[in-house]
Amino acid sequence: MAFDGKRVGMGIQGLMDQGTIPVLERVLQFTAARHRLLAENVVNVDTPNYRQRDLSIQAFQQSLAAQLERRRLDPHAALNPDAPQSELNDQLLYHDGNNRSMERLMSDQAKNALMHNMAVELLRKQFQQMELALKDRPV
Amino acid sequence: MIDALQNSPINPAAAKLISGTGGAASTGQSGFADMLKQSIDQVSRLQQDASAAVEDLATGKNEDVTGVMTAVEKADLAFKTLLAIRAKLMDAYNEVKNMPL
Amino acid sequence: MFDVLDMGASGLAAQRLRMDTIAGNVLNIHTTRDAAGRASPYQRRFVVFSPGQGSDPARPGVQAQIKTDNSAPLKKYEPGHPDADASGNVLYPNIDLAVEYVNALEASRAYEANVTMMDVTKAMLNASLRLIA
Repeated sequence: MAFDGKRVGMGIQGLMDQGTIPVLERVLQFTAARHRLLAENVVNVDTPNYRQRDLSIQAFQQSLAAQLERRRLDPHAALNPDAPQSELNDQLLYHDGNNRSMERLMSDQAKNALMHNMAVELLRKQFQQMELALKDRPV
Repeated sequence: MIDALQNSPINPAAAKLISGTGGAASTGQSGFADMLKQSIDQVSRLQQDASAAVEDLATGKNEDVTGVMTAVEKADLAFKTLLAIRAKLMDAYNEVKNMPL
Repeated sequence: MFDVLDMGASGLAAQRLRMDTIAGNVLNIHTTRDAAGRASPYQRRFVVFSPGQGSDPARPGVQAQIKTDNSAPLKKYEPGHPDADASGNVLYPNIDLAVEYVNALEASRAYEANVTMMDVTKAMLNASLRLIA
């Protein structure tokens, strides 16, 4: 194995930036932001002229994939996927100007929470593995 | 006898291990070192597979959550096995080192 | 994520206010006198929701304001009633029980949705806590 100066120079910060840790961190940031938006929708379910908003999972995943491709070529590139807010346009508009859909809100919240918990568990696994490697007597 | 063990269907993983050490007995030191290097490579490969699977799940390319969780757990267990082997080797080395001669 | 819990609390408070207003309407459906004893029927109340919390409309959340419904009261012909006017008509509050009932159902449904949302928030926060456990 040839001596890779770049890898030696990565230091402790580099250790935290490799593998799936940054990816999972970004997923958690997305699920937290989306939950906040969905919560605002729930709280404003009876507010007149309030249009329900959402963060698109597709847009986030596409942005993340593109940023990961960029990272494959340049390992030191930052990982910053963006997830633009958008108004929901495919729902029934009620007489008070609100386009609520209780069913969609509840199912979106449940799916988002599952995605969040899954990412947390995977991140925990990563950290546990690193801690195990650091332990002096693992067995 | 080694052949019989290799053909035994009881535990193919154990059979492979035994045939590996049988090979070491015949070719000397290098067989064991090769086996160790192979194990490290395999663990590394499993970890890379797990990382790729997690990335695919995060970007939406792969929707199979069970598959990803299995891959991650496999990599984790392989890593722990390697650490256990390392611990045992260290114990054996220390025991030999401390033998009064 | 803790501000999400504040948001949820504002939602609960707003829906509760709506429920209280509806309860007031239902209880006063036959009230023909006001607090001073004059023959003035109870005016229906309703709530108006608006985004914002407290005095800050930019803060995410919702608040409810009680408004009085100024529609004309119902007239019923009851000449023997102590509050009847010269032509024998009594003025009753313009409250429809069916409308109040449906509003109450909607308010309780929205309240439940808020509670569920806060449960999900707490679950997500607890899951994140396990990262350092």
